Amino acid sequence: MLDSRISRRSLLAGAVGTSALLTLPRPAAPAVKKGTSLKLWILKTYVEPTNKAIEASAQRWAQKNGASVTVEYFTFEDMQTKYVAAIESNSTPDIGQLETSAPARFAGMGQLIDLTTFARQIEGQVGKAPANVTAVTMVGDKVYSLPWYVMGGFWYVWRDVFEKAKLKMPSTFEEAKHAATVLNRPKDNFYGMGQSWNRTSDGYGVMQSLMYSYGVGWAGKDGKYKSIKTPAMQSVMKWATDIYKDGVQPADTLTWTGSGNNENFIAKNIAQTSNGPSITFALENALAKATDAKDRKAKEEALANHVALPHPAGPDGRRMWAIAMSFGIFKTSKDPEAAMSLIAHLLSPEETVAVMKDSYGQFGPVLDKARAASKDYFNKNDNYRTFGRAAEWFAPTGWPGPTTAAAAEVQASNVLTDAPAKVIVDKWSVDQAIDWEDKKIKEIYDTLRG
Amino acid sequence: MALPHTVGIPAVRPRASVWRRARTREAGTALLFLLPLFVLVVALIVYPVYRAVWLSLTDKLVGYPERFVGLRNYAYLAQDDTFRAVIRNSVVFTVGSVGLKVITGVLMALVLNNVIRGRNFLRGLFLLPWITSTVIIALTWRWMFDAFPGRGFFNSVLLDAGLLHRPIAFMATPEGAMMAVIVANWWRGFPFFGVSFLAGLAAIPRELYEAASVDGASAGRRFWHVTLPGLKHVMIVTTLLSFILTINDFNIVYVMTRGGPGTATQIFATYSYQVAFGQLRWGRGVTICLFVVPILVLGIVLISHYLLRDRD
Repeated sequence: MLDSRISRRSLLAGAVGTSALLTLPRPAAPAVKKGTSLKLWILKTYVEPTNKAIEASAQRWAQKNGASVTVEYFTFEDMQTKYVAAIESNSTPDIGQLETSAPARFAGMGQLIDLTTFARQIEGQVGKAPANVTAVTMVGDKVYSLPWYVMGGFWYVWRDVFEKAKLKMPSTFEEAKHAATVLNRPKDNFYGMGQSWNRTSDGYGVMQSLMYSYGVGWAGKDGKYKSIKTPAMQSVMKWATDIYKDGVQPADTLTWTGSGNNENFIAKNIAQTSNGPSITFALENALAKATDAKDRKAKEEALANHVALPHPAGPDGRRMWAIAMSFGIFKTSKDPEAAMSLIAHLLSPEETVAVMKDSYGQFGPVLDKARAASKDYFNKNDNYRTFGRAAEWFAPTGWPGPTTAAAAEVQASNVLTDAPAKVIVDKWSVDQAIDWEDKKIKEIYDTLRG
Repeated sequence: MALPHTVGIPAVRPRASVWRRARTREAGTALLFLLPLFVLVVALIVYPVYRAVWLSLTDKLVGYPERFVGLRNYAYLAQDDTFRAVIRNSVVFTVGSVGLKVITGVLMALVLNNVIRGRNFLRGLFLLPWITSTVIIALTWRWMFDAFPGRGFFNSVLLDAGLLHRPIAFMATPEGAMMAVIVANWWRGFPFFGVSFLAGLAAIPRELYEAASVDGASAGRRFWHVTLPGLKHVMIVTTLLSFILTINDFNIVYVMTRGGPGTATQIFATYSYQVAFGQLRWGRGVTICLFVVPILVLGIVLISHYLLRDRD
């Protein structure tokens, strides 16, 4: 069965390649047999309308093609567990939505179909993604998934708090730290910052933005291990641990597990934090549910006052880690051609914009045609204009090299955030923590096969 | 007369062969009845244990075939500083939780043993933590210890009572976080101890207390010399069971702290989960869990030996 599928795909690839050579008119997407049944796994985010919009889009394709699509969700929490279990039991879906590191990891395992030809085939229909985003979908020169959107982390601040203190909005990490010290009022339970080095993307995501913006990468451009025992990393670690000194953050910041920063920011206990656009979603949603005029006024003020900035820059520029979602087709798929057709449908500018409009800014399209079609949407206000630019600042896991399985494991092993925690909690020196982190990273690169 | 004799000789042979046949048939029936159990034991115990041991001797990565690497995973963990912290945390978490459960279990049993009216109602009430979902318990205790102003139960009470001016971040320090997960685990588990000890108390003959009282023994001495020895066997069994469950606990720590801050509450199960499902290193993840098996086996053997010796 496997061989026959491979040869069928090879045949398809060959056919497409030949048609390209002969400059014959190319089909927008492979044909779909009536009655085809596909299984699609997608990420369930906090923004429920987005989830429903993606599912509705998939069902539109099914209806148009006389096929059926079973949509299954995974959350940030169980994404890894669900895929791991499926891979080991050979029960992967036809199409899986993949986060930043997944294409490299799964392609290395031989789980994903090579979509190089297909990507070229539908480029005219859906457009191209910027090179920094495309990088996460490739291993070597082969494409294993097609990018759809970037869900960035942004630097949320309260405008009125900054204006009252006559502080400009922070554009660098140093400015953010300075602002935290100035704005800190622990006696009133108001703190200058809320940045946790925890085991969620609010922790390791910001740490990567910080490292990359200071020019620190644990891999070179070739994707091979590079030592982080550098003066730049000392600056990174100093920033990461200084914000835990002098009480400029709530005392329990390190223990927040995902929603702690959202809650503290919305409750106006902290002046600044990093988070995805779900904070904006929560504030817009709260306004829509306002009970009376007074409540409405308070919520309008909160919405107008909250500002989403890009992650601050460092001495080496602004590089924002983000969750880059793409679609891959698993080799277990019984109908890869139909799966390609569904992906082409989902990535089309019309469908992408339809989903994006229900995303409260969380969904930053990366394909240029969808980006062009989404300009009006992201012109809603300054916050949305920032959301719309997430792809420009995006730096993938393993920067400046490609996202590799080893780079993905470094992120998953939590060493990036455990290192500053060792300084903050266990009172290690900065150098000790960097040595420890470097040793752990090297060990991952030395022992990972595949 | 010859008939019985002539018939008698061959008559012995059939009887022996019938007996043999019957024995074979019985053995066959016994095997047939034992077969389902044998299949279950092999499928649910022997094979998984064999598989786990085998995986620990490989560098199995998710999505890749297994490769035999001998004891490399064990050697790696032996020099892994995080794993050393995991062992320390697991011991503190388990001993702390089980210790608290024993003490409060005894107290609960003593109180309930002396309550005449509403004993069954109280027994049911005390069992609530035991039957509540662990995730709900973990979330509840996380909320109780929360430092979020106006939300964390303890902080709200202390602030409202004017005893505090600023909330205490209970879970911000390694000690505080460990205390929080121990308390949550204790709260979930102590009813099991209490109910077991209550059953044990019911089995202690009243005459022993009466005799001790006649001899002038104080309440404390009666507890020390009658109650505790009477509860010894129940105590050992419940402690052993709870020790096994607690050292393998995952939910409470994962939901409350995810092993943090830093690695302060990282225990066997949470670290194994991170390595196996986050880092995709199944071989090493399984090895982390297997490290605890010899400790448990030793404990079980020692306690079984002790119980059997006592019975003899």
